Parts: sequence; C-alpha cells; structure tokens
Amino acid sequence: MLAFRSEEHVDRWCETRGIPHGASFSLQQAWELGRRWYGDKLSPDWRRATPDEAERVFTDIGLTGDFWRLRA
Amino acid sequence: MGAAEAFDREVRLFVYRHFVDEGEPPTAAQVADRLEKSTEDVEAPFRRLEAAHVLVFAPGTLNIWMANPLCAFPTTFRVTTERGSWWGTCVWDAFGIPAMLDEDAAIATSCPDCSEPMEFRLEGGSLTVDDGVAHFAVPARRWWDNIGYT
Repeated sequence: MLAFRSEEHVDRWCETRGIPHGASFSLQQAWELGRRWYGDKLSPDWRRATPDEAERVFTDIGLTGDFWRLRA
Repeated sequence: MGAAEAFDREVRLFVYRHFVDEGEPPTAAQVADRLEKSTEDVEAPFRRLEAAHVLVFAPGTLNIWMANPLCAFPTTFRVTTERGSWWGTCVWDAFGIPAMLDEDAAIATSCPDCSEPMEFRLEGGSLTVDDGVAHFAVPARRWWDNIGYT
C-alpha cells in the first residue's frame, strides 16, 4: 500500500508500470486502518484478527467491496 | 494456554520490544540468549509465528524481515517519534507504528509516481495531511501470496 499525491498520480503510476488499478482511499482511512490493526500489537494478549474481524474493520472505516474480502 | 503457545508469545513479545527499543529486530541467537534457550529451540516458534503471518523472514534464513508494522530493511516509509525511527513496510504499516507506540510521529515518504517528498504528521491521535491518497494494488485475499510485493 503506497501513498500518492493524488488519484491522477495513482493512475499514471499504474499505467506506466502496467499494474492494474486496485483500491484508492483517503489517507485518513489508511491512518484509521493502522490504528485499528496495530493499536494493540505490543500487548501480551494481542492475537491475530479472524477473517470476520478483519473484514469488519475494513467495513467500519468504509473499505468495502470485493477488493476487501478475505475469502472468495 | 499450551506450552508452545506460551513460548510463541514470549518470543513474539521479545522480538517486538527489541525491535522498538533497538530499531532493528533481534537475531535468532539474541532471542535464544534472552530466553535462555538454544538457537535450535527458537526455530520452532519462529516457524510457527511465520506460519501465523506474525513474522516474515528473509528468504531461506531466520533473519527477521518484517514484524509488521516494523520492517528491518529500508523502505520508502520512515517513521520518527521521540523514541526513535523505524521503517514501515507500507503506508498502512507506517501509520501502524505510531498507533502501536501510542506516540506522535512524523512519517516521511515520497510519491511513487513523481518522487515528490511527502510528510504526514500524527499528533494526539489526529493525522495532519494536506493532500494525498492511499492505493493498494493487491486485493485482500491475495495479500499473503507474496507479502513482500504486497
């Protein structure tokens, strides 16, 4: 997951490298993803999120659609 | 909790705390020394943590490459807080470092398209950013097919 100056830069980067456009979203959503995913990583009780829990995090912060589904 | 699970947790916590404190991951020998085990004893928990997608090793070695959100090798995401500096694997992980540490941070990166430097600031749990967009090329269900590329 990379950070670009704008959607125009994403499009040009994908086109230049022949990489299919994936999912674009705001940096605020990326920060929220980092906060929700890693906020408890140093806790002795940390455990990996289940696929259901992970998909719920994505949905909660507005990352929806097939791209964000962990299972077929 | 079984003995193996407890050992894995002990190894995981030591790896992360060492990585945070020293700015680089411990070697298998350092983990073994700290936990009063042999290096061979550490291989099993390392492999279990790898299988559980907790640790990623440099190919063919027991050298820690990623203990997400931390990355052992330079990336385009440098995260700096009052405690130190670390490499984040990607922008998600770069934001994950201050979240994990519960600290303010400056995150330096550059636009992959034009190489223009970009900096984000996290203060008091709020992100300050003028512009920019995050892009993920790989769909979620394929992230671990090749985590280095992802």
